[in-house]
Amino acid sequence: MELQKVDLFIMTNAKFFEAHHLGWVREQLIQMDDSKWPTLQMQQFKDPTTYLIVSLLGGSLGIDRFMLGDTGLGVGKLLTCGGLGIWAIIDWFMIMPAAREKNMALFQSVLNYA
Amino acid sequence: MSRNRLYSMVMLACLLGSTYLWIQKTNILPALSGESDTCLIKSISGVPCPSCGTTRSIVELLDGRFISSLQWNPMGIMVFLIMMISPLWIITDMIFRKESFLRFYSRTEYHLKSKWIAIPAIGLVVINWIWNICKGL
Repeated sequence: MELQKVDLFIMTNAKFFEAHHLGWVREQLIQMDDSKWPTLQMQQFKDPTTYLIVSLLGGSLGIDRFMLGDTGLGVGKLLTCGGLGIWAIIDWFMIMPAAREKNMALFQSVLNYA
Repeated sequence: MSRNRLYSMVMLACLLGSTYLWIQKTNILPALSGESDTCLIKSISGVPCPSCGTTRSIVELLDGRFISSLQWNPMGIMVFLIMMISPLWIITDMIFRKESFLRFYSRTEYHLKSKWIAIPAIGLVVINWIWNICKGL
C-alpha cells in the first residue's frame, strides 16, 4: 500500500494500538493489498479512553468488561462487587491495554480476511 | 482467552475468595471481618451494590441456613456454586488434558450476549439491586 496512506492511518489510529505494536502494524499495512483498505477504514476501533471512564464509573458492576465483550469476566466482576473492590481498581489500569488488545485482534482479523 | 490464562485466573479468584470467606467465617482477623468496606460503590455513595451481602449469604449457606442465605442475597448461592464447581472442573481438565471448561465458558459467554438472555438477566440484577437497597444492606 502507498506510504502516504499508511502514515495517514497510523497518525489517525495510533491511540487505538499499543506503542510497541505500531511498528508491526505499519509493516503489515505496507505489505497489505489495496483492496483491503476500504474494509480497514470502516472498522470501528474501541477508544481506550472511553473504557477508562466507564471503568472508573461502573467498574464495580463489570460494565467495562461487558462493553469490551468479555462477558464472562463482566459477570465475575458483577457477582463479586468488582472482585471485592480489588479487581475493579486493577482494571482501572488494565482496561486500556485490554481495549488496545481487542483493537489489535480486530486489525488482524481484517488482515486475514480474504 | 487462552485456556491456561482462564484456568489460572479462575483458580486464583477462587483461592482468594475462599481465603476471604475463611477470614470472615473464623473471625481470625477482626479488622477484615464484619462490616467491611470492600465494596467501592457502598463506601463512596452509601448505597449498596447488586452484589452486596454475597459474603454474608455464603457464610449463612455454609452454616446450613438456606432461607436466610437467600434473604441476604440470592447471588451468594450462585457464587458459592461457581466457587465449588469450577476448581474441581479445572483440576479434572488439567489431569485429563482437556479443555471442556474453556468450551463451556465460551459457549456461556456467547449465549449471554443474546438479547433473549441478556435483557432478563439485567432485569433480575436490577430487581436484586432494588431489593438490596430496600433491605438497607
